[in-house]
Amino acid sequence: MNHAIVLAGALIAAGLALGGGAIGAAVGDGLAGNATIQGTARQPEAQARLQVIMFLIIGLVEAMYFINLALGFYFITAVASSVK
Amino acid sequence: MIFLAEAPPGTHPTISICQAWYCTFNYDSLISSAIAIVVTVAVGYLIAYRLSHGVPGKLQMLFEFLIGYVRDLVQQSVGEGGGFIVPLAMTLGFYILVANWLDFFPLQQPVHPANADLNQTLAMALIVIIVVQAYSLRVLGLWGYLRRFTKPFEMALPVRILFIPLNILEEVVKPVTLSLRLFGNIFAGALMVYLIGSLITFLAGLVTEGGIASVLGGVLTPITEGLLILWKAFDIFFVGTIQAFIFTLLTIIYFGMAREGLEEEDHSAHSRPAEATAETGG
Repeated sequence: MNHAIVLAGALIAAGLALGGGAIGAAVGDGLAGNATIQGTARQPEAQARLQVIMFLIIGLVEAMYFINLALGFYFITAVASSVK
Repeated sequence: MIFLAEAPPGTHPTISICQAWYCTFNYDSLISSAIAIVVTVAVGYLIAYRLSHGVPGKLQMLFEFLIGYVRDLVQQSVGEGGGFIVPLAMTLGFYILVANWLDFFPLQQPVHPANADLNQTLAMALIVIIVVQAYSLRVLGLWGYLRRFTKPFEMALPVRILFIPLNILEEVVKPVTLSLRLFGNIFAGALMVYLIGSLITFLAGLVTEGGIASVLGGVLTPITEGLLILWKAFDIFFVGTIQAFIFTLLTIIYFGMAREGLEEEDHSAHSRPAEATAETGG
């Protein structure tokens, strides 16, 4: 019984963490894309250089979400195996 | 919970030499990183063996381009005396790239993507941060090193004292974020492959049930398999490459941050940049 409650709580917490992380990553991707589009519209010749930086920023932004995903899974497995 | 019953990614089989905590090894990570090291060294020796002054081969050209790019980055953010950073950053970045791309092959236990173990990425991050701190001490001197913890320099002294805990926290957090970023990405990639794989098993079980469930399973199974292929390609060739590049870039940026305050005029009496350049240049 105790185990089931703890597991349910861990799953809900992981779901909340993933949802919040997805919102943050999506907003960050959108900001990076927005800035790239504006920069390209002003200076079309800078597109190649801007694109490299954009993908770099997207990698940094999405890293936070992936850390969330990995740690959420870690917490679920750790909690579920520690409470009997 | 089906996926908790099996061994999920992230549980490593361990081997213990003695009974203490410090000689327990995740031997699967040792095997995976050994494979990655062998491939990295082999490619390096292959390029060195086929090195030519005339028309370079494709691989040599790629490497010359990458090394030139990293050298330019070091020149921009660190400046003189940063020559020793190029091999360090290049080796780490190339090793991470190889270790991530090895994930392209269908790996079975006990071989897994080498960076999906926090011990491995934390070791690399700690090496980088220790060298960064040593470089900072050497370039700025002890007084300048301690003074760097009172950033921002242009503010009044009482305000700068307030910033000391934040600056210490910044230095402590650096290796943590550097290692967790790489680990989180690669581990989450392996985790997603595992989860989509278990979804395929679940859908294949639906097909035998009959009725609407079997229709649903028959339609969704090929879609999920395509999703798995898409995810794997994205994970390895986009995320893996970008993370290797980011690790290299952040290594160089941390070295650049380690010499903050060197250009201040009131600080010139305490630093000996000329001597440090002579020692570390190359």
